[in-house]
Amino acid sequence: MVKFKIYYDKDAEEDWLNQMCGQGYAVQSFFAGFYRFEKCEPFEYRYQIDLLNTSHGSYEEYCQFMEESGVTVVQRWFKWVFLRKPSSEGPFELYTDTTSLIEHYGNIKRFFTAAFIAEALCCLYELIAFVVLKNVILGCCFLLLLFLSGAILKNIWKCQWKIEQYKKEME
Amino acid sequence: MENKSPLTEALFYILLSVRKPNHGYGIIQEVRELTQDRVILGPGTLYGAINSLLSKGWIRLYSEDTDSRKKKQYLITASGREAFKKEVRRLQELLDNAHFMEE
Repeated sequence: MVKFKIYYDKDAEEDWLNQMCGQGYAVQSFFAGFYRFEKCEPFEYRYQIDLLNTSHGSYEEYCQFMEESGVTVVQRWFKWVFLRKPSSEGPFELYTDTTSLIEHYGNIKRFFTAAFIAEALCCLYELIAFVVLKNVILGCCFLLLLFLSGAILKNIWKCQWKIEQYKKEME
Repeated sequence: MENKSPLTEALFYILLSVRKPNHGYGIIQEVRELTQDRVILGPGTLYGAINSLLSKGWIRLYSEDTDSRKKKQYLITASGREAFKKEVRRLQELLDNAHFMEE
């Protein structure tokens, strides 16, 4: 089974993948918003999504470490990775203390900030092109990019909010 | 590397678990046993912590074995032991002073 969905919030995406697994569908691969599911036992796996941190060694080292810890790397999509562990082998949470959660959401926030800058520049470019050329398609592109930029901005705020919550917890 | 802030619980137990050569999964298991399942390190937390300890020079790779099938092992260094002892002194001081509350 293949499903198409676009997620900006990795926590919501994680919840959805775990919910799907609860219904007996385990995600096997991901490509540009297309999730391919295969049948599994309900709640057979527990899924987690991670963003690679380039300051923490190579992807190969990361994979080796995860496999050695009993975690399967299901799919890599640019800097994002889908991980899973059989539920029978106990709980699976990637980040278990406040320090590492703050670092994790800080990493995600930096990723989306870079994406936002790139998106906002494209948006501005489309707007100028639209004003100069008065082309409807360019106008539509501008609106689409504006919408995307907004979605990314919302996600940056969400990360910041989470970081602040965790910091309060530490005090 | 000077550490001014206290060690996090995770770092404290990771340093303790690599007093002898130990690999990632072994560290998770040992910390679980030492804390009677209270502290269960997530693999993401452990991976980040190991990398930060490696860059601080508090732990090192134990075997330079090129056999990739063999699990990577880590071992505490002299400066890692020093940081750990310093933290133990700080915790000891807290405990020594705690009884004043009962007076």
